[in-house]
Amino acid sequence: MIGIRIHGRGGQGAVTASRLLADASFRDGKFSQAIPMYGTERRGAPLVAYVRIDDVRVRERELVHEPDVVIVLDPLLSKEQSVASGLKKGGLLILNSKLPPEKVEIAGDIKIATVDATKIALETLKRPITNTAILGAFSKSVGYPTMESIEKSIRKQFPGRVGEMNIAAIHRSYEEVTPVVQATHTEPVVEESDIAVGGYGVLKDVSSWRVFTPIIDLDKCTGCRSCWLFCPETAIQWKDDRPEIEYHKCKGCGICVEECPVKCIAFERVVV
Amino acid sequence: MVGNKATATAVKLARVQVASAFPVTPQTTITEYLSDMVANGELDAEFVNVEGELSSHVVVQAASRVGARTFVCTSGPGQLYMHHPMHQTSDNRLPVVMATVHRGNKGMMPDHTDLMSQLWTGWMQFYVEHNQEALDTCLMSYKIAEDERVRLPIAFGYDGYVLSYTAEPVEIPDQKDVDDWLPPYKAMPSILPDEVLPENLGGRWDRSDPQKRWQEHHEAIVNAKDVIVEVNESYGKKFGRSYGNGLTEEYRTEGAEAVLVAMGSLTGTARAAIDRLRDDGLNVGLVKLRCFLPFPKEDFQEIGKKVGAIGMIDRNVCLGHGGAAYTQIRNAIYDLEERPSVLEFIAGMGGKEVRVDDIYKIGKKTLKAAKSGGVSTSTEWV
Amino acid sequence: MSERINRLQIPMEELTITPGSACQGCGAALAARLVFKAIGPNAIRHRIPCCPDSTTAHPSANSVFESGGAMLTGTWRGLKAIGRTDVQVVGFFGDGGTYDIGFQSLSAAAERNENIWVITKDNEAYMNTGNQRSGATPIFARTSTTPVGSVIKGKQMRKKKIAKIFAAHGIPYIATTSVGYPEDLIAKINYGKTVEGFKMLIIQSPCPVGWRYDGSKTIAMARLGVQTGIWPLFEIIDGEKFKLNYKPRELKPVTEYLKPQARFRHLTDENISLIQEDTAKEWETLLKSDELGRVLL
Ligand SMILES: Cc1ncc(C[n+]2csc(CCOP(=O)(O)OP(=O)(O)O)c2C)c(N)n1
Ligand code: SF4
Ligand code: SF4
Ligand code: SF4
Ligand SMILES: [Mg+2]
Repeated sequence: MIGIRIHGRGGQGAVTASRLLADASFRDGKFSQAIPMYGTERRGAPLVAYVRIDDVRVRERELVHEPDVVIVLDPLLSKEQSVASGLKKGGLLILNSKLPPEKVEIAGDIKIATVDATKIALETLKRPITNTAILGAFSKSVGYPTMESIEKSIRKQFPGRVGEMNIAAIHRSYEEVTPVVQATHTEPVVEESDIAVGGYGVLKDVSSWRVFTPIIDLDKCTGCRSCWLFCPETAIQWKDDRPEIEYHKCKGCGICVEECPVKCIAFERVVV
Repeated sequence: MVGNKATATAVKLARVQVASAFPVTPQTTITEYLSDMVANGELDAEFVNVEGELSSHVVVQAASRVGARTFVCTSGPGQLYMHHPMHQTSDNRLPVVMATVHRGNKGMMPDHTDLMSQLWTGWMQFYVEHNQEALDTCLMSYKIAEDERVRLPIAFGYDGYVLSYTAEPVEIPDQKDVDDWLPPYKAMPSILPDEVLPENLGGRWDRSDPQKRWQEHHEAIVNAKDVIVEVNESYGKKFGRSYGNGLTEEYRTEGAEAVLVAMGSLTGTARAAIDRLRDDGLNVGLVKLRCFLPFPKEDFQEIGKKVGAIGMIDRNVCLGHGGAAYTQIRNAIYDLEERPSVLEFIAGMGGKEVRVDDIYKIGKKTLKAAKSGGVSTSTEWV
Repeated sequence: MSERINRLQIPMEELTITPGSACQGCGAALAARLVFKAIGPNAIRHRIPCCPDSTTAHPSANSVFESGGAMLTGTWRGLKAIGRTDVQVVGFFGDGGTYDIGFQSLSAAAERNENIWVITKDNEAYMNTGNQRSGATPIFARTSTTPVGSVIKGKQMRKKKIAKIFAAHGIPYIATTSVGYPEDLIAKINYGKTVEGFKMLIIQSPCPVGWRYDGSKTIAMARLGVQTGIWPLFEIIDGEKFKLNYKPRELKPVTEYLKPQARFRHLTDENISLIQEDTAKEWETLLKSDELGRVLL
């Protein structure tokens, strides 16, 4: 049996990815189980889903605590050491990342393969939704499920044109995924952070929610307070009559960017 | 004094600060007595006339949380309707006191299925025998519920009509004595803005171990037995009346070969039956099961050691399981090396009258089981 | 009536504890932040189940979904009984907890004129459970329980006029407002704080997830709702005295509000005209009410 954990964020389709993987495995004659994170999903908030694949019917109801494979759908999360947490020795990390696996700073006695799934998704689906694209990379690196089965599962889930676009995406990622290599680092390079997951109440740091980051050009700022007033998270503080962003509170919603009357807040795609 | 008046009088003596209720037979007159008391300035309380039982329950739940002593009462359908917030009240460890004037779940007449339907809500439950006990139990309930070792809500039940509307002499304690004995209530922890602890601001939750809340709640109920015993004793000292050890009360059990167990007003009828049995030379005693939750398991283990058979008369039935108290008693005696037989009698359902004669027969049957065994242990509907 | 304030009069002190767990661009999270800024620290905040919006630095009491009005009542009466009438009793509830399951107990609390605040973040559906329709969902909107099927497309019933329903209880103060108009929102809380009795504020709180638009447009969406007349800003005192707080010379066409939201994507021209007509008719009534200074149904 293998256990798989998928990291994504609310709205990216991690749960769909887990179901497609389970469905395709079943078509290949295996038994499988797709488990969503328990609780409510919030758009932008990091979340996890799990899959088990086995030759016999999967009976256990535990979450997958020590996965054999971890898939990371989100390029930002692909930089976090914590995505490797619990991953078995010799286990495989499939990252959505531009970097070749040798350059990845996630440490451990693990193997890594990378694929620029965001680029593939933007080119095939015209949207940065990577949940299907990454499945081709999985099939190639792990050896199953077969691409035929994944195709069938996708067609069932997304009939018509959308399905065909997604199928194009899985073929690209099958071709473009890097070979599996041993992780370069054995000792953590980046500190293990608490990947803030959704739920209720107060969180510590939501930087990992951001796909875009607002940056204020104070030279152009007129001090009108709009950005401060409309930020739902009080990420914009008012200091010395000027706005200042506290980035650990910023979810990257873009309201401030939209509301600045002189357009002096840039919204920059987080570099990965 | 009728049972509902006895309860209303206790509410006044306890200096309840916020009460709320919605009329439902046979509880209705409590709401009227309380309204009168407030209107005449005899009771300095907020009596909130709500639009339904669920709201009455939530009103006292919220008031208890800010630090007011509270009272709520209901019957049958109203009891079922307020089931949902009862869980929150106990989960928040609020010492609300509730009177349930029993009305069964099938029809207007009394049995204990209304309160028994709340077994899983995390409340303590008492079943009382007569109007005096209703008054006394109401006062004791505040002392037990508000004890810092307990901090849990209590419901005490008494049979509708049979007690609620039946008049009998009731001794009323002196207000000054009650004030001496029952100190004012204070909420713990405080949620007043100037008293709340900084870590409690925002009502943040601890998600580390979701099961811990259940364990602590359960243990708090089980451990409340000591406090119940203590309060019963101190009440006795102060007011001259107590009820067995507070959990169970024995009647003519000396030398008994068998005992009957009864709850609520049936106990009174059972006393008369026991007297007749004893007169006829039959060694049968009676145990009143007063506190059902926490269940006095230890008491029944002691009794079980002394007798050959226990006949439980349940005025409730968990459909498909059987009588709730019967099941618990059987469970309690299982640990004994030599176990008595436990017989199940279901009586008084839907308000069906239970006569002294009926219980006399139950007594004989139980005694027979004690002497010879060989009596069918299948449920008997009296 | 509320007194206009300007941006500089908005209190700087924040009472939210952030970052919270609402979605990116959540209108309700902003609503909570603005409301509790204006309410100030001396309050107990009451919760019933709903989306997480924003946590605030207030003592918190929660109860069951159906019980908002009773919970606020209990706290208020309890405070009275212990002599702490200085503390404000504030409920911050969703539209589900106000229009639907909580309606009965709120109506009763309004009838008793309890001294409490009922503040509704109206995102026009049960968002916490994943966008099911509520009595606040507008006509034709797509939700997960009013899907766009081949036979029935979206919700077939109109939104309840909740403000007028509560005004009919004769309560001292009820107002509508929007996260797109923070000055209006805060002015109304400021006024309500001077009123003893049942006070209610219904806040339009766009939800990017349920309404299906990009989260950066939350404020823009709120403003369009107001500027098209779909979400008028008004206040009613003692169930009678009326004031319309936002009166443009001309309303924008409703399409400007409907088009950017994918929950309305399936609307036919006929559907849109119906919404336009409804809006125009209601607007006329509101203008007339404003002229008379008296609420008309
Ligand atoms: C008695 C009860 N029924 C159903 C639910 C499930 N539930 C929780 S929140 C919610 C919807 C809340 O909708 P609303 O009040 O509009 O708040 P929102 O989530 O939109 O903020 C529902 C149906 C519940 N918690 N309790
Ligand atoms: S992007 Fe959103 S969360 Fe970040 S500072 Fe701007 S308004 Fe606040
Ligand atoms: S909205 Fe723009 S101009 Fe106004 S304070 Fe913010 S950055 Fe400055
Ligand atoms: S679903 Fe809507 S209302 Fe709920 S937290 Fe997300 S944006 Fe806010
Ligand atoms: Mg809602």
